[in-house]
Amino acid sequence: MIKNCYIHIPFCDNICSYCDFCKMYYKEDLVDKYLTFLEQEIESIYNGEELETIYIGGGTPSSLNIKQLERLFKIINKLNKSNKIEYTIEGNFSSTTKDKLLLYKKYGINRLSLGLESINKNNLKILERDNNKEEIKEKIKLMKEIGFNNINVDLIYAIPNETLEVLRKDIDFILSLDIEHISTYSLIIEENTKLYINKNKNIDEDLDLEMYNEITNTLKNNNYIHYEISNFSKVGYESNHNKCYWLNNNYYGFGLGASSYIDNKRITNTRSISKYLNNNYIYEKEELNIDDIIEYEIILGLRLIKGINLNLFKEKYHKDLINIYNYNELINNNLLILKDNYLSIPEDKIYISNEIIVKLLQSKI
Amino acid sequence: MKEENIRNFCIIAHIDHGKSTLADRILELTGAIDKRELKSQMLDSMDLERERGITIKLNAVQLSYKYNNDEYQLNLIDTPGHVDFSYEVSRSLAACEGAILVVDAAQGVEAQTLANLYLALDNNLTVIPVINKIDLPSADPDKVITELENIGFDKKDIILTSAKTGVGVEELLHKIIEVIPSPKGDRKSKLKALIFDSLFDSYRGVITSIRVVDGEVHKGDIIKMMETNAVYDVVGLSINNPKEKEVDVLRAGEVGYLFASIKSISDVHVGDTITLESNPADIALPGYKPMQPTVYCGLYPIESNKFEDLREALNKLKLNDAALTFEPETSKALGFGFRCGFLGLLHMEIVEERIEREFGINLIATSPSVVYEVELTDKTKIQVDSPTKMPKRELISKTYEPYVKCSIFTPSEYIGPLMELCQDKRGTFINIDYLDTERVTINYELPLSEIVYDFFDRLKSSTKGYASFDYEVIGYKESNLVKMDILLNGEVVDALSVIVHKDFAYKRGRLVTEKLKEIIPRQLFEVPIQAAIGMHVIARETVRALRKDVLAKCYGGDVTRKKKLLEKQKEGKKRMKQIGSVEVPQEAFLSILSTKE
Repeated sequence: MIKNCYIHIPFCDNICSYCDFCKMYYKEDLVDKYLTFLEQEIESIYNGEELETIYIGGGTPSSLNIKQLERLFKIINKLNKSNKIEYTIEGNFSSTTKDKLLLYKKYGINRLSLGLESINKNNLKILERDNNKEEIKEKIKLMKEIGFNNINVDLIYAIPNETLEVLRKDIDFILSLDIEHISTYSLIIEENTKLYINKNKNIDEDLDLEMYNEITNTLKNNNYIHYEISNFSKVGYESNHNKCYWLNNNYYGFGLGASSYIDNKRITNTRSISKYLNNNYIYEKEELNIDDIIEYEIILGLRLIKGINLNLFKEKYHKDLINIYNYNELINNNLLILKDNYLSIPEDKIYISNEIIVKLLQSKI
Repeated sequence: MKEENIRNFCIIAHIDHGKSTLADRILELTGAIDKRELKSQMLDSMDLERERGITIKLNAVQLSYKYNNDEYQLNLIDTPGHVDFSYEVSRSLAACEGAILVVDAAQGVEAQTLANLYLALDNNLTVIPVINKIDLPSADPDKVITELENIGFDKKDIILTSAKTGVGVEELLHKIIEVIPSPKGDRKSKLKALIFDSLFDSYRGVITSIRVVDGEVHKGDIIKMMETNAVYDVVGLSINNPKEKEVDVLRAGEVGYLFASIKSISDVHVGDTITLESNPADIALPGYKPMQPTVYCGLYPIESNKFEDLREALNKLKLNDAALTFEPETSKALGFGFRCGFLGLLHMEIVEERIEREFGINLIATSPSVVYEVELTDKTKIQVDSPTKMPKRELISKTYEPYVKCSIFTPSEYIGPLMELCQDKRGTFINIDYLDTERVTINYELPLSEIVYDFFDRLKSSTKGYASFDYEVIGYKESNLVKMDILLNGEVVDALSVIVHKDFAYKRGRLVTEKLKEIIPRQLFEVPIQAAIGMHVIARETVRALRKDVLAKCYGGDVTRKKKLLEKQKEGKKRMKQIGSVEVPQEAFLSILSTKE
């Protein structure tokens, strides 16, 4: 049963130095064309399920003009939405105008996710983004006035030359906005990004961890729940859409470069706009056998601080996880915790979770 | 062919001076092969040889050439071009009456030019000096002519060639016939044939390359190897022109291949003499000496279940390579492997590379060791070819290590840095020979272990690659040697132990621990790295605990990428060796060798 849907809008007014997502500069006629093919893709694949989450990501969806946004929402309106739907759109502060916010409201969007990243000038220079503290404060105020009560902002840290001091200011500013959800990302210098090409280097990993701990402790002290490696929320505001990934649930993914997980197949769409505009959506399809599915269940489930629900696991796969992976030694070495029939990575070791997951996968019987 | 019309010769040169290309051109000019067939460097049959530009195994080609209306048989005997194989070189020289000494018109005379020349003169060969690559823009034939005059050649005897364009090659062929003496064997006397190479063919067994010196050998003869006393029926004889052609007889003066269903290469020693069992020669040809490995290292499969595959690979290589020795050994750290002996470092590298490439076995090679001699307190002497075989300190009364005489050939401007290097390597200065005002040979006595360590890299870097060197083992000298252990997380890793001179142990210890710190990835816990002599720790570094290994951002449901990343990480772990609780990458075991100072 598919209850979740991701829609990708690959257009941006500005390309950030660190971004390796699927994106391109905004061009009005190209967007119009894109929406036509997006509609065709959705119509050809969607099977009428009632959806509980829709997430419009990018790129920068808010870079579309009002007319294009309205067209997009009308296309999405053909999808069958549950009355308790979580309906999110991403954007940046400058292009998320009052008119657009009113339009979002009109079409039932109830969650906003905004790229804030940092307010420090040096950080912004490296990230090649622009931000204005006052504008951000005003926009958040406006969003709340219009009636949005589920707002996320993204924070990026571990930026070259960043200090703990700089990070603390960023955190304090975000806390002052009093929003419901915060995603924090340690900067990854990916290949094919401007940062990589300009030979930027990651900061020292000890400092990186210190920053992560600073974020976690501060946010927790301010009543945010740390529920996933990079995500924090107030009680009741965890992102249902993101959780569908970590719980290994099915989801549709429409648009350029989008991914979907349907009927044991993980499908990644093409990142080539010319192919996409020729109805050649699919780039790669991974057919999963039961071993793969269980491997995904572990890799994804251990991202959640709460961990993997072993009862649910048994219900799903008719087998106990311990009979597939012998993780007792990892528990003895305090690399995993078994509590209330949840298997999880201790919070103080979440930052080395890859190492632990690999060890777990190696313990396959 | 009557002996007067036979010429047996080889081509000798410093590496990369164009020996193989010149051989190709000669093959082409004598019509042995046409251009179309000419894969570059026809004589080097192994891929690895062609890639590295090194001739590893010997080969002989028979060519026919008409000169002044007379038919001549030219036997071109190829020789390996590296010091590790100098014994093989000397045996193939012994199969010739003449040698073509090739010198690069741009590079001029170098260390192996001289080393090979002296070997040729030792074997009483007539040497034709050739300056090759005169087509190069950087060629300076006049300068090279002067250099050759300085080492005793007459200007009028020097031939200028370009193997690339073909210039001078015809002239060279004429010169070969004119100046190289024909063989002077006695075809009626008892058979004496020199084995100058052997190779293993999976259908026909060991094939020997022979030069008949006296008498004749026929298909069906029963032969005897004079050194090993092995007796065999001659199943076939052939020549290579350069396609193989069977013949019924090989007579004195001729060169060819002999096969006799020999299954074990240990029966066939390069340098041995073949005679007839029924009518044996009284004395063997001179110059035979068994090959002794000078460098040893442990080879271990990364995946321990590949141990038997490794044994099979070594056995197969051994069929072609009598100089390779190996015996099983066990390491606490690495499990089951083999202690292998090699003629030198290049030989070692080639064997390792062939095992990885041709047999698909991933290897861990431990740091190479020379063979030390240890005199115990009870006056007995033992040989130690591996640090693990070093007796406890209290049992040792004296230690000895092998020394080499090393000749470094260099532009004179680098004399200073090179002497500093040799001094640093515990060398004893002998003398400096001036070839001319710009080029010198510096002679030193050095411990072989220092050459095995990083001498070559440092020689190259301190002379911008202009110096070349050559060495020969001269014997053992007393030396204050100790075994230095490396401990990871408090445990001795036997495969990382080395034998070093006591005065250099601190420096080595520091370098090795620093290097290991770079190579060993952070683990879940802090890993101390220590160098110790006995119980005494002389250097320490720490690999800090892993702090970050997480994929923070998982974008738009693209979890496939995350899984691929983790799979890669899992694969990466397969290339690590688990030693105690520490995961160690395979490079660590060679790091002891490659520590740059």
